[in-house]
Amino acid sequence: MFLGTLRFISKGWIEQLYITPKYYFGYLGFEWVKPFEGDLIYLPFLLLLISSLFIILGLFYRVSAFTFFLCFTYVELLDKSNYLNHYYFVSLMALIMVFLPANRNFSIDIKIWPKIKAITTKQWTINLIKFQLAMVYIFAGIAKLNSDWLFQAQPLKIWLQAHHNIPVFGSQLQEEWLAYIFSWTGCIYDLFIVFFLLSNRFRPFAYFFVIFFHLVTWYLFPIGVFPWVMIFSTLIFFSISFHERILDFLSHTNWRSNANFKKHPSRKKRSFVVSILSVYMAVQLLIPFRHFLYPGDLFWNEEGFRFSWRVMLMHKEGHATFYMVDPKTGRESEINNGDFLTQTQEDQMATQPDMILQYAQILKNFYDGKTLHYGNHKFLIENPEIRAKIYVSLNGRPSQLFVDKKHDLTKLNYDLYHRTWIEPFKK
Amino acid sequence: MNWMKTSFVYISLIALVLLSFSCKKDKEEETPEFNKSELLTNVANNIITPAFSEFEADLNALETSFLLFQSTPNQSNLDLVRADWKAAYMQWQTVKIFDFGPMRDNGFKGSTGTYPTDSNQVNSNIANGGYSLGSVDNVDAIGFSALDYLFYRSNALSDFTTSSSYMQYALEVIQKIKTEFTVVNTQWASYKSSFISSTGTESTSAFSLLVNEFNRDYELAKNAKLGIPLGKQSLDIQLPEYIEARHSGISLELLKESMLALRMVYLGDNTSSGQGFYDYLIHLERSSLAESINTRFGSIIVKIGTFNNSLESEMSSNVSGLNELYSLIEGQVVNIKTDMTSAFGVLITYQDSDGD
Repeated sequence: MFLGTLRFISKGWIEQLYITPKYYFGYLGFEWVKPFEGDLIYLPFLLLLISSLFIILGLFYRVSAFTFFLCFTYVELLDKSNYLNHYYFVSLMALIMVFLPANRNFSIDIKIWPKIKAITTKQWTINLIKFQLAMVYIFAGIAKLNSDWLFQAQPLKIWLQAHHNIPVFGSQLQEEWLAYIFSWTGCIYDLFIVFFLLSNRFRPFAYFFVIFFHLVTWYLFPIGVFPWVMIFSTLIFFSISFHERILDFLSHTNWRSNANFKKHPSRKKRSFVVSILSVYMAVQLLIPFRHFLYPGDLFWNEEGFRFSWRVMLMHKEGHATFYMVDPKTGRESEINNGDFLTQTQEDQMATQPDMILQYAQILKNFYDGKTLHYGNHKFLIENPEIRAKIYVSLNGRPSQLFVDKKHDLTKLNYDLYHRTWIEPFKK
Repeated sequence: MNWMKTSFVYISLIALVLLSFSCKKDKEEETPEFNKSELLTNVANNIITPAFSEFEADLNALETSFLLFQSTPNQSNLDLVRADWKAAYMQWQTVKIFDFGPMRDNGFKGSTGTYPTDSNQVNSNIANGGYSLGSVDNVDAIGFSALDYLFYRSNALSDFTTSSSYMQYALEVIQKIKTEFTVVNTQWASYKSSFISSTGTESTSAFSLLVNEFNRDYELAKNAKLGIPLGKQSLDIQLPEYIEARHSGISLELLKESMLALRMVYLGDNTSSGQGFYDYLIHLERSSLAESINTRFGSIIVKIGTFNNSLESEMSSNVSGLNELYSLIEGQVVNIKTDMTSAFGVLITYQDSDGD
C-alpha cells in the first residue's frame, strides 16, 4: 500500500482527481465528505504514506492502521467517479487490520512495549481475512454467471482483441474461442479458487494459479496494484508453519523468545467479538445480493452494482448531452460537460443513473438565479429544467437510448428506489 | 473431497488447453486478420505525411504570394494571397485532426486554428507595435482566423497599401504559422516510426490517440463550426460573432472540408484503399455500424452542399436547414464516440480502472 500510494502520487492523480474537478460526486449519505481546499488535500495522502510505512515497520500499529483506514476511506468517499472495487477492498482490509494484533512480533512496537509480544494469534483474526478474500473471489465468480460473460464472452472479446499487437500471443487474442476460454476460466477460477486454497492438498497448485491468473490480468488490463495485492493477500491461506519457515529464512534471530502466551479472554468478551463478527460477515454476504431487490437489468440500471465485487464485468460507454431549459421562454441550451466535469467524471457519469441525477442538480444549482447575456438578449434563469439525451452501449452492443429527453431530471429524487426513468434495456 | 479433485482436474485441463493452443499456430482462418499497425502505417504514410507536406507547401506558397503582394500591393495580388490563404486553410482541416505527438507538443492546433479572432486585439497590436505574437494575450490575434480578418475586412487593400505596420503584422502571422509548422513536420518525420509501432490500448498509445483526437476534432467541428454560432449553447440566440472565417464567408466550405477529411481518416483512404477505422469495424463484425457511419458522413457532406450562401446569411434565411444539418452531425457522435470506440476497446479516459 505504501507503494500504491506512492504510485498514486507520482502519477499526479491527486491533482487530477481531487484538485482539478470543480464538482464532486459524493456517495448517498456521505455527500458531506468534501475535499480539503487546495494543497491541503495532500495531507491525507502524506498521512497515508506515513501510516502505511509505520504499519510495515510495526510502529504505533493500531494508531497507524486506524489513520490509514480513515484517510483511505476519506479519499475514496470524495468522488464516486473514482470508485474501484479494489479500493473498497483496501478500505475493508484496513478496517479489519485496525482490530488485528498484527504488531505482536517483528515490530518496533514490541521493542517499545515488550509485553505485547506474542507468537500466536487467535484463529478468528486469520479466518476473518480469509473470509474477506473468499467474498471477493466467490462473488466475483457469481457475478460472472451471466449470459454476456458465459455465452457471448463479452466484454472480454472486446478487451482481448484490442491487444492483438502484443508479441507471440497477440494474433491469438483476436480469436473468438480464446475469449470464451478466458471467460470460463476466469469464472471457474473465481468460484473455486478459495476452496482449493483452503485444502491442504491443493494449496500449492492453487497458489500457482493465483499467481498465473493475476499476472495475466496485470499484463492485459490496466488494473494497477490490484493483482499484486491479491497475490500477496492470498498467502494468508498458507499454514502457520509455512509462514514460520519463511520467517526463519528471512530472519536469523530467535524471534520466538520472550513471547507471552495469552490467556483465554473472558466469555463475555468472546461473545462480544463473535456478535460483531457475525454482523460484519452477514452484511458482507448480503450486500452483493441487494440487486435482487430491483427489477430490470443490473448492468443496465446499475442498481445495487457497487460494493459487490463485480470486477472487470462490463464494458459500458455512454454519450450524454445535457440541456438547460429556461421554463419561461422554453428556450434551451446544450451544456458543454467539459465546463463542469473532468474527463473521468464525464465518462463515469454518462452511464451511471445516480451520477446523472447528481450532475443534473449541479447544473440546476449553477444556472438557477443566473442572468445570461447573449448579444442584446438577457435571460434571468429561475428553476431551470435539466434534460438529457443519453445513449449507452453495453458490452459491445449497438448503443441504445438510456435516458430520454422527456424527463426533467431536477424533478427526480436521488434515492435508493428503483429508477423508472431509465429506458428499458433491449437485448 | 472428490468433487474438488474433479474440478481441479478440469481447471488444469482448461489451462493446459489454453497454453497449448496459445503456442500453436492456427491454420483455420475465416476472417482475414486485422492488424492495427497496418492501419497506423496507412494513416501515417498515406494520410498524415502527404497532408503535412501539402500543408507545408501551401504555407510556403502563401508566404511567397504575400511577399509579392507586399512589394506590389494591388487587387490582383491580394486575390492571389486570398486564394493561397484559402488553400492552406482548407488543407488545415485535415492537418488539425492529428493533434498528438509533435503537433500537440508544440501547441500548434491552438495557435493556428483558434477562432473567432479578437479584432480589437489585432488592431491594437498593429497600432501600438511592440507585440509578441507568441504571448497568451495574442492567442486570439493570430492564425488563420486573424488572416481572415486582415485579408477580408472592408478597406483591406487600402489599409495594406497605406500602413506598413498592417502589412508587417499579416506577414508575421503567416511566418509564425509557417515556422512553427516546419518544426512540427520535421519532428513528425522522426516521430512517425514510434507512432506506427504504438498499437496498445493504453491511453498514450498512438492508436488510442488517433481515435481520441478523431472524436475530439469531430465534436469540435460540430460545436464550434456550427452549433455555437447557431445558438445551440446560448438558448437559441444566434451568435454570428462566433462564425469561423466570418469575413471571407467560407465557413461552410471549411465545415465540408473538415467532414471530408474526417471521413478520409475513417475510411483510411487517400488515393489507395488503405485500412481505416471502417476496416477495423468490418473485421470486428460490426459492418452495420461501419456502414452507417459512412452513410452518415455521406449525407452530412451532401447536406452541406445544399447551402449556396455563407453561413451568416443562411443563419438569417434558412435556420431550419441548418438545424437539420446540425442534427445530422450530432447524430453521428454516438456512432463514433460510443459505438465505434467501445468496439475498439479504446477508452476515452486518462486513468486506470478495473473496468466496472
